[in-house]
Amino acid sequence: MLYMPRRLLAALAVLSVASGAPAHAEMIPSLNVNGSTGLIDLPSGEAQDDATFSFTTALLGPTTRATISFQFSERLSGSFRFLTWRDWDNVIPGDSKLLDRGFDLRYQLLKESNYIPSLTIGLIDFASEGRFSSEYIAATKGFGDRVKVTAGLGWGRLGTDGAIGQPFGDRPALTSSDFGKPNVDQWFRGDAAPFAGVEVKLTDTWTFKGEYSSDAYVEESDIRGQIDRDSPFNFGFEYQKGANARFGVYSMYGSEVGLVFHLILDPKNRATGGVMGAAPVAVNSRPTRTLDPDAYDGGWVTQADAGPLLRKNLAKRLAVDGIVIEDLAYTASTVQIRIRNNRIDAGAQAIGRTARALSHVMPASVEVFEIVPVVKGIGASKVTIRRTDLEQLEFAADNATLLRQRVSITDAGPVPSNALGGDGLYPRFSWSLRPAFRMTEPLKGDLGLRLSASYDIQPGLVLAGSIYGRVIGNIDRSGNPSGSVLQPVRTDGGRYAKFGDPALQSLTLAWYARPAADVYSRVTVGYLERMHAGVSGEVLWKPVDSQLALGAEVNYTKQRDTDGGLGFNEYDYDIVTGHVSAYYDFGNGYVGQLDVGRYLAGDTGATVSIDRVFVNGWRVGAFATVTDVSAAEFGNGAFDKGVRFSVPLNWALGNQSKNTFGATLRPSTGDGGARLEVDGRLYDTIRDYHTDALDPEWGRVWR
Amino acid sequence: MGQGVALRMGVRAAAAVCLMAALAACGSSKPEASPLVLAVSSVAKATLGRAKASRAPAKAAAPVTRADIEKFGMPILRAVIPVRSADALLTITDVKGSTVTWGTTDGTTFTQREGVLIQTRGLGPDLMSAQAPSAAALRTAGGTHQRIYYFLGEDDRSTRRTYECTVTAAGTEEIQIFQRTHRVEKFTETCGRQQGSISNSFWFEGPMIRKSRQLASGGLGFIDFERVVD
Repeated sequence: MLYMPRRLLAALAVLSVASGAPAHAEMIPSLNVNGSTGLIDLPSGEAQDDATFSFTTALLGPTTRATISFQFSERLSGSFRFLTWRDWDNVIPGDSKLLDRGFDLRYQLLKESNYIPSLTIGLIDFASEGRFSSEYIAATKGFGDRVKVTAGLGWGRLGTDGAIGQPFGDRPALTSSDFGKPNVDQWFRGDAAPFAGVEVKLTDTWTFKGEYSSDAYVEESDIRGQIDRDSPFNFGFEYQKGANARFGVYSMYGSEVGLVFHLILDPKNRATGGVMGAAPVAVNSRPTRTLDPDAYDGGWVTQADAGPLLRKNLAKRLAVDGIVIEDLAYTASTVQIRIRNNRIDAGAQAIGRTARALSHVMPASVEVFEIVPVVKGIGASKVTIRRTDLEQLEFAADNATLLRQRVSITDAGPVPSNALGGDGLYPRFSWSLRPAFRMTEPLKGDLGLRLSASYDIQPGLVLAGSIYGRVIGNIDRSGNPSGSVLQPVRTDGGRYAKFGDPALQSLTLAWYARPAADVYSRVTVGYLERMHAGVSGEVLWKPVDSQLALGAEVNYTKQRDTDGGLGFNEYDYDIVTGHVSAYYDFGNGYVGQLDVGRYLAGDTGATVSIDRVFVNGWRVGAFATVTDVSAAEFGNGAFDKGVRFSVPLNWALGNQSKNTFGATLRPSTGDGGARLEVDGRLYDTIRDYHTDALDPEWGRVWR
Repeated sequence: MGQGVALRMGVRAAAAVCLMAALAACGSSKPEASPLVLAVSSVAKATLGRAKASRAPAKAAAPVTRADIEKFGMPILRAVIPVRSADALLTITDVKGSTVTWGTTDGTTFTQREGVLIQTRGLGPDLMSAQAPSAAALRTAGGTHQRIYYFLGEDDRSTRRTYECTVTAAGTEEIQIFQRTHRVEKFTETCGRQQGSISNSFWFEGPMIRKSRQLASGGLGFIDFERVVD
């Protein structure tokens, strides 16, 4: 009767031909073929709207560029790019194809105002082999609501045509030992050349762009003979389709045609326009004590069958929302329900739904509702709600804020001694066969099938395993040994992919517990991941309302055979690894993590990561690991670094599910700075039910 | 040649498995459809919804007669959401004093206090709560009041909008609701804030709101309500 919102279509424009949302009235900051904010091949002074996440594919003569970009804050953005040069052997014999990866960073110094243009400073490809490296400052000013003009100054590649001098001195060449590290010595050095461009909005959907490029394409044109750079002028048209898709076609450098497609997503806001899913049942109000004093008699607690009956009735109401009762304990005045939330993506909403169910089922004498969300058998926190508040605030203005002021969120505490337990939850066997998608690069991945099974022995004790078989894909499965000078703890991926298909991914016995207030623990034994097996132990300290968490992990592992079986004959390699970790929630969704310790190849060092976590569950982040492995030993890339993202499927589809799609992308895989990939690390397991995560989404408690 | 055939078979088998994998996931737990299935069915639903809407705009309920509705023997409220091309007949799901929650069969609810909308659920950009005037205040020409809306925004956060409102009388008229004529007084509530203004309309039959057009949320716009059966 009430149809799915139309904006859904916009989000799924890639899947369907239906048209999306109406075009923007004002000129939006557009992207260039390199996936960063700009003209055609050149950057501009603008920035994308905060949090914009985009995926760009560009075809430019014999080169392909695939880029993921993220506007990390209002002013700071980053890009991760995969480049392919074809016909690389036109002049110089060798491989016909060259692959390269690079990172960009840009910072907007000034925002546009009446008289001042927007001004951005940026680094392109600042930590690779330098084939694409350049630095720039660019200014952009709008004139009316149809014209934007950009002018800038570029160094590196962007300083190769029409240079006006070297304001900051010579640009030293990179040596192979510099590859993969930030090319700090080169920044803004060497020839500087001006560039410029114009963008004209023709209609709501069509835009014309023209630019004068200061990139001489020295390598592609002069050295490799891939393209002819006949002209510094590029021009073309772009077509915006809905809010999420943009296409461009250009004449580039007088000889080539450029094509680009941008998929532009807004992680902050749901593609469905709002949280979908059915309405809750109304809160059940008790009769007043004066009207029906008998209803408040607590004598019911002595009835022998009261517990199982209450549990059964609650289970029936909660099943509608995919909530399972782990445990139930009560007195005449208080009930504690421990729940497993299988489906609702916001903890606050699961808590609200549980409170509503309790209001219907619990006798009137029960005034205090204690709701304990349980994850992997651990009570993550305890939300205490007074039933009177629930009844009084249901229809009050600003009921979410008012309820939050009266609710307390504390450590879960131990399971009450009078708890009934769950109904048929332990022991329990479950299994599934699902499609599984693995992505290693933009445009590179495998689609396969994963057979998973788990046996829940008792709360917190799980035996689980999974087998993965590839169906189709283009991930490296050459079977070649890595040739790494370090123990190939990661770089034999091609061998694992080839010889272990299908492979036993994991087979573990895991024990999760909350040994003391604010302390959580995990011990996992078995085949922990595709390449390593052994024992992994972890302890985490995280008070419910603390921005800071501290953890420690110790692992002893042996490297597994590449055939995906149970053996350890191929490598004869075992190692003790471990880390101490600090996690900090900076607020506004920024979460940082620092790990210091010993990595799989025996190297010691530290990993820094920062993620931006959105209320709806989107995550985008970056990480870098520096260890005592030298750049030469690490191989391509010098040190381990990369970006990662995770998209909740319900953000786009509006269904109720906690499934996500995500990937971790690295410019190159090395054996230095490699950590064990063990399931169920504690911080992310419990964070969803701590105040840093519950408070931003608290509005959904009444949803 | 033999190899060629085998290869082709292989590709075909792979394609079949791939299709099966993409379209279905199986297991012991309650099955959740695969993302692809959901995507396809969502698009289908949205497209169907749109096609239906364009074929029979706003008149979908026209063939239903008052006799059809009255034979259920219960109060009925009609809600029309123009931006969704949605038209639904609602029944009461909860009553707490003058606060009545009306629901559709597919899990959408609308809560009114004396006929004034204060909450919606299941629409996406929902009205989570509101500080709203009483029906009597909305029937007092020249009266002023503050109105605050709390929406659940598309960013999953509570969004607050505060308006200063004035009520004006807009005369008496006769309206038809499912073949029944009602003589009503129309009042308009004009609400302003710095970023713009909105207006809600109420058609009173005596002290009761017979018909109204009220803002639900920024993302959804207005809803038309008609009290069909008391």
